[in-house]
Amino acid sequence: MVPQSYEQIRGIAMTKAGGTTLVEKQREISMAARDHRGYFVPTFGMIAARFKELRKRRGLMITLILVTIGLPSIFLGVKLILHVVSPGSYGPAGGYTVYVAMTSGVLYIFGFIVSATLGCTAGSIDISEGMFRHLVVTGRSRVALYLARIPAGLAIIVPLVAIGFAIVCLVCVFSAPTSLQFGGVTVPQGLSASSFESWAANNAQEVVCQFPLNFGPNGALKPSSLVASVVANEPCSGEPSPPSGPGGVKIGRIGPGPQFQPSQSQLVEAARFIAKSDYSRYASHFRVPSNTLMIDTGLWIELEVIVGFVVGLGLGSLIGQRTISVILMIVLQIVLTPILSTADIPHFINLQRGVVGLATAHLTPGGLPVLAGGGGGGGNPGLVPESTFAAACVIVAWLVGWTIIGAWRMKTRDA
Amino acid sequence: MGDTHGKAPDSQWAVETHGLMKSFGSNVAVNNVELLVPKGCAFGYLGPNGAGKTTLIRMLLGLTSADKGSMSILGYPVPKQRDKALARVGAIVDEPRFHGHLTGRENLEILATAREREARSRIGESLDRVGLTSRGNDRVSKYSMGMRQRLGVAACLIGDPQLLILDEPMNGLDPAGMQDMREMILSLVAEGRTVMLSSHLLDEIERTCDAVAIVDRGTVIRQGSISELLEGASLSFQVECSEPERAKTILQGREFGAVVEIIPDGLGVNLPTGTHKDVIAAIVRCLVNEDISIYGVQRIQASLEEWFLKVTSRLGESR
Repeated sequence: MVPQSYEQIRGIAMTKAGGTTLVEKQREISMAARDHRGYFVPTFGMIAARFKELRKRRGLMITLILVTIGLPSIFLGVKLILHVVSPGSYGPAGGYTVYVAMTSGVLYIFGFIVSATLGCTAGSIDISEGMFRHLVVTGRSRVALYLARIPAGLAIIVPLVAIGFAIVCLVCVFSAPTSLQFGGVTVPQGLSASSFESWAANNAQEVVCQFPLNFGPNGALKPSSLVASVVANEPCSGEPSPPSGPGGVKIGRIGPGPQFQPSQSQLVEAARFIAKSDYSRYASHFRVPSNTLMIDTGLWIELEVIVGFVVGLGLGSLIGQRTISVILMIVLQIVLTPILSTADIPHFINLQRGVVGLATAHLTPGGLPVLAGGGGGGGNPGLVPESTFAAACVIVAWLVGWTIIGAWRMKTRDA
Repeated sequence: MGDTHGKAPDSQWAVETHGLMKSFGSNVAVNNVELLVPKGCAFGYLGPNGAGKTTLIRMLLGLTSADKGSMSILGYPVPKQRDKALARVGAIVDEPRFHGHLTGRENLEILATAREREARSRIGESLDRVGLTSRGNDRVSKYSMGMRQRLGVAACLIGDPQLLILDEPMNGLDPAGMQDMREMILSLVAEGRTVMLSSHLLDEIERTCDAVAIVDRGTVIRQGSISELLEGASLSFQVECSEPERAKTILQGREFGAVVEIIPDGLGVNLPTGTHKDVIAAIVRCLVNEDISIYGVQRIQASLEEWFLKVTSRLGESR
């Protein structure tokens, strides 16, 4: 169609302006009214299309599945097979210790890295593959194009990590040890404090010789002089003393060659005392992780994965290159976070508190050691101190901040 | 940047720019461009490499920002109403690139989700139109350059565009592919769509377009219909005559301003740009008066290429 005044040239058929029918005009007006492409909220279709685009990246998906599901499956599978073949040499595949290793050791660290890789890919690949230009030319809001990637990416990585975590939980619960080795002594499971003391009384010599001595200034209880003498003089067939608890003990075992021979009642009294002081540690070593701990851990790992993805997405969008973004994310997680979480850097304590890895470490579920060791729940003694509220604020700030940075870069970038 | 004309969407121009400027450091890529692209025609945006064609297109499409000036697409000011303007625009800028791990159809589905709801239903039709139906389910990484160009056109068509902006669409195409592309462009124009075509291939523009703007060093130096532009080209004609040597001497002695050369069977005469055609009659009369027998006079239509070379700064380089 050309303007009425426009002269046709070279014999090409053209419709003069004014030929548009009323029906066509009404159709255009109706379509325009329904068209909200300038709005910043992405449509479900955009999210689904982005999900499909990411899901069809075969290499990336294989890597994600290998790390989140394959790694725990292979590790636990090998342990299961070894235990079945030679139960005497290889312990059960599951249990609390394995659970801790697989969650805070594997899924937490590697879950972050693979989710960051997915985020960096989602944030940069349209630009590097030349598709960004096509998308911008549609007139769709660039912010909507960016925001569509968040639910799409999370719809991939969150279920994958959940599956990997579920496998860990299943194996750790259903293939747990049937007994607990505490201080080298096989101890019944799930005893109450009084039952634990009664069991200790019946196995006094093993308890006195083998159990951890949780005495001293920071210990649970202060030993009487009698208990100290019994522990110091009870002949224990030459094994080295087990490690003492934090704060150390002033008394210790000296092995064979007694200078003082305790009576059976004195031995029982000492065993009861040691069991009493060790109960909290025993209670934390139940053979399977509790339901509460599994739920908390699952949510905590998913939080870490979400943080990794959102930060990776923002960084990928900012830099526009996947490889560099992924390297930076790995450096953040593997190098910077451990250093900044534990180092005592004068005048920079608040900067250290702003590290997202430190914040998530402070939200570690109780009873799950992470990073520098020790319990979580905001009381990790190896970490730079930070309140739970402050940690939550840091995480929210990282999520919101990187989303804004990524969207801003996408909005202002030359396509 | 003043970006509003206050124009209603019923504007007679598909593309309108005023005083548009864009610089990259000290290099002025687009310099005070005044461009009017009428609706419903094939419009060529012609210029040598590095003339600023792609930069102008990128600004129109909101892929990069302008430093100064105003522009509108289909009557909507850009970038203020960019979403409304681009709703009925399809474009290929530079080499069309897509997600190689997805099929052609899947790439179009991604683009359709970013457009209006009806766009998805046009995918099959668009693939059919560009001749990719049978290859629509193949991965784009297996496509040839020509197929990717055609997929780019299909990506434009899913939006049922009133305006198509194609940047160097013939790049990388073999002669058959160029012919297909040319026919497709003409058929799109025949449907009442506007096609703005940027190219440095003069022959393609001449064959495909109704109107043209010639750009050099970021500035539009001429625009109008091709026939209008060629009218401004130098006046050339051939005279079949007796005694060409004497005829040449006679003409060189007169003040016609003609450049005369001897060709087989006669003379080639070239008159300066802007010379009125009555001068041809005067020359013939002069030769007849000097007893030169005239057997025929044939006007030579300057090609767009010759004209282009004369008006652009590349004239010197081409000689």
